[in-house]
Amino acid sequence: MPADGRCDAPRDGHERPRDAIDHPAGTTVSIRDSAHISAEVCVIGAGAGGAVAAAELAEGGMDVVVLEEGHWHDPDTFTARPPEMLAQLYRDGSQTITLGNPPILLPLGRGLGGTTLINSGTCFRTPARVLEHWQREFGLDVSEESLRPCFERVEEALSVGEVTPELAGANAEVARRGAAHLGWSHGYLRRNARGCVGSGVCAFGCPTSAKQHTGITYIPRAERAGARIVTGARVERVLLENGAASSLARANGVPVARGVQARMASGARVQVRAPIVIVAAGTIHTPLLLARSDLGAQSGQLGQNLSLHPATAVFARMEEIVDMAHGVPQSFYVDEFAGEGIIFEGVAGPPAYAAMSLPLTGARHAEAMADYRRLAQFGVMVSDSSRGSVQALAGRPLIRYDLTDADLRRFRTGLARMRELFEAAGAREVYLPLPDGVSPERARLRDLKLMAFHPLGTARADARPAHGVIDGELQVHGVRGVYVADGSAVPSSLGVNPQMTIMALATRLAFGLLGREVEGSQINEEAACHS
Amino acid sequence: MPTGSPSRGSLDTFIASAPTLQRAGMRALVALARRPRGATLLGRVPAAEQLAQVVTSLARYDDPELSRTLGWDGAAVVARGRALRRAEGRP
Repeated sequence: MPADGRCDAPRDGHERPRDAIDHPAGTTVSIRDSAHISAEVCVIGAGAGGAVAAAELAEGGMDVVVLEEGHWHDPDTFTARPPEMLAQLYRDGSQTITLGNPPILLPLGRGLGGTTLINSGTCFRTPARVLEHWQREFGLDVSEESLRPCFERVEEALSVGEVTPELAGANAEVARRGAAHLGWSHGYLRRNARGCVGSGVCAFGCPTSAKQHTGITYIPRAERAGARIVTGARVERVLLENGAASSLARANGVPVARGVQARMASGARVQVRAPIVIVAAGTIHTPLLLARSDLGAQSGQLGQNLSLHPATAVFARMEEIVDMAHGVPQSFYVDEFAGEGIIFEGVAGPPAYAAMSLPLTGARHAEAMADYRRLAQFGVMVSDSSRGSVQALAGRPLIRYDLTDADLRRFRTGLARMRELFEAAGAREVYLPLPDGVSPERARLRDLKLMAFHPLGTARADARPAHGVIDGELQVHGVRGVYVADGSAVPSSLGVNPQMTIMALATRLAFGLLGREVEGSQINEEAACHS
Repeated sequence: MPTGSPSRGSLDTFIASAPTLQRAGMRALVALARRPRGATLLGRVPAAEQLAQVVTSLARYDDPELSRTLGWDGAAVVARGRALRRAEGRP
């Protein structure tokens, strides 16, 4: 590592990059001409999983290269205007859609930080009942106790803490009042934020850099520890020693990782030679990359088992001024029905955001928007039993997902109870996301207007090679040196926001590769003070 | 902060960022919604009307002046954020 602690070039013996982008913690390398780079570990993706693994491994002394398809997003370019920010910060302008009944909008972040850049910042540890399910059904050696140091470490690195009522704002207060009146279990959410002032635009780029997404926490740590971060690099294949996995398997050989091949936006090719490859391209793109690389298909599970946490939102017109975007949009939850797979979480945003999600048309829409300051909004999220799939079609992901009757019933219940919540809070009117004249109890699949934010499971972990793509250590079955560290590894729906689960698993993977026990909340002072 | 810039520009940016099929579909819907006869046609297909509503209202309410009348001053939020970042040395 250079004496000043910055890493702005490939290591000795590698082609030097032609340009470099300034980044708060160091220098992010961008490559215009073809290059060959060697490292001990190549991490693909700089979101919740990849950034964490890269930082922990680099700080543990390993030589790490991160390849990220997106770029560093300078907070000075954040305008708090939804159309611009959706185009800038999201993959496909946030317009990724599933094919099925009903179609579901699936926004995904792109850039250093991945979806952590544009999520709501909600932090839940993996519920104990889910970990028990993973032990029982997938043979995974995970428990609250074994993951505790990983969660502690991540929570400290990201300054996770509970939102205060003052910062939560009036939108949360509406839900709190309704839940309290009904005697429903509720609380303020824990978030990865530091110095938050309630700008109300978490999903459109935090203008204060209060949200501690991995692009401003783990990635700078990785850089300070010597990792090289290459942005604008689309990985084409994971490379193996001695050729393709299928031909080696036929010869009873065990394929071993050799590195990756990527292409820059300029067209330049980059080859990274590394004996360890960590794939963290996200739940939608990781299975496509593995399939392109002839990896992980033996079980028949690659690209399958997609869960999404489908969600919808209900509006209410209150007597009081709410100003929903004044405060933390997702600051409060109601988990009274979590046992049924239904959780309510706050959602809110500026007028442009509210206008596009308000389930009214024409004059009624205009009239309700004229009273925007009195509009409250809350989300219904379902822990889905439905499962979808991802496959490539002309180089793009084709996402298929049909909602099951069981999940339809959850939405019927959730919408009816959300209306109850708003009425208990004193709503003048409640706007359900259903066609005119359709009650929640009679809602059909095609009546639902759904979004989803938590795709999981398309390269699921299972100790048995015939049932999963990766094993309990997150290594691809039947291959040495290729690991998966993103939402695709998560074998089942969580029922809660998944970023902490992904980060904890990535932490565990990194320490496993370093051959060390995870050190709970003992991050070195330098890292902590910069995070 | 491009306060006061035409909302139609940001809508064009938004639509341009979509995958090809959605891009074409949204452009067609917006074109229909902006014409009286087109809007009437859309009214006969609730799903299409809702989708057109989503796209056109995203543009309409992105207008900074309209937003301010509704109690949201995005420019002020951004300015406060930038000042805080600089004052506290945040990334």
